[in-house]
Amino acid sequence: MKNLMMSLAVLGLGACASAPISPDRLEHSEESIRGAEEIGALNVPAAKLHLQLAKDQTETANKMASQGDERAILVMARAESDAELALGLAREVAVHSDALKATEDLKAVRARGNP
Amino acid sequence: MKTRIESLIATATFVGLITGCATTAPTQLVEARNSYAASSTGLAAKLTPTELYDAKKVLDKANTEFAQHGDTLVCRDYSYIAQRKLELADVKARTEQDRQTIAEAVKAGVVVRDSQVKSSRAALATTREQLKDERRESAKTAEQLETEKQARLTAEAKLAGAMKDLAAIAAIKEEARGLVITLSGSVLFASNKFALLNTAMTKLDQVAVALQAQDSDRRMIVEGHTDSQGSDRINQPLSLNRANAVRDYLVNHGVDGNKISAVGMGSSRPIVDNKNAENRADNRRVEIIIQPSQLTTR
Repeated sequence: MKNLMMSLAVLGLGACASAPISPDRLEHSEESIRGAEEIGALNVPAAKLHLQLAKDQTETANKMASQGDERAILVMARAESDAELALGLAREVAVHSDALKATEDLKAVRARGNP
Repeated sequence: MKTRIESLIATATFVGLITGCATTAPTQLVEARNSYAASSTGLAAKLTPTELYDAKKVLDKANTEFAQHGDTLVCRDYSYIAQRKLELADVKARTEQDRQTIAEAVKAGVVVRDSQVKSSRAALATTREQLKDERRESAKTAEQLETEKQARLTAEAKLAGAMKDLAAIAAIKEEARGLVITLSGSVLFASNKFALLNTAMTKLDQVAVALQAQDSDRRMIVEGHTDSQGSDRINQPLSLNRANAVRDYLVNHGVDGNKISAVGMGSSRPIVDNKNAENRADNRRVEIIIQPSQLTTR
């Protein structure tokens, strides 16, 4: 238990003796999931998978917390890491699309200069 | 001896226990270690070192957990989280690279556009200068045309005046071969002579003025004609000499010698029959033919 508590501290996760998941913690996880959905994670297959993993693990973590399982907080951390990865993957697709467009635009501008 | 054997057995048991505890690392931990090895030498090390460091801290916890307690759920949880954080570091690195691509493209686009704008401005300035030059040329041409027009009007007025004066002393007729100015032979020459009379010179002065007022490209022919009295042997050279006398006088008084020639026609081209003295006087004549303009007949 001592080791787990010390480990959680490294992750920035605090836990009380009954290992509840704090409302802030839960809210942070849900925000990450919502953010990923808002920027189109559901349209990116890899992001969609991690989003689903995040949701499932959040649910599991909540159940574990309600049963007083200390590991609930680590499962919640897993959920967060999936949610953040989903967000990153969705953002990557959007930015990559912008990068391709910017490159094409540059080509077009150059082509206009050299008919 | 027994103690030594017991000691060996105890050692072997301890080693066995240790070996037993050192179970194979869980797949999650192995994957996270491999991912870290790849990410720490890849794009993430360069573009997202903070994210990579965060992942390393979690991976360290997984390794510590494994070293201390073996393949536990906590070890697997840390490994899982480390793996996700490593993937996220790579994803953010690629995203950052794309952002840099966008920034460079935008910057390059600005440079290209600036260059194009400069080129366009330079081209515009050149065009404006050309336009100014063309306007200056156009104004100059218009001025020249106006000058030429005025000169032409002046020349035409001068010609009209000269022709009017000429009409008082000679017959002027427009024919197919050109404008024909007919001067009576008796006014110009004494009988059978080809030296010009003094009175003829005044008239020829007016003719010279009229001829000089003609278009510069018109050629002129002075034709000498006699009546049918006398033989061709006499009339032919007489008519030529008279034509030459008139031509020479005109050339000496300003008519371009390259444009005027003389020819003797003898009595071959009478304008009326030679039956009476009056008609014969009409046939004794000098005709100056001003041929049609080369420009207008082309």
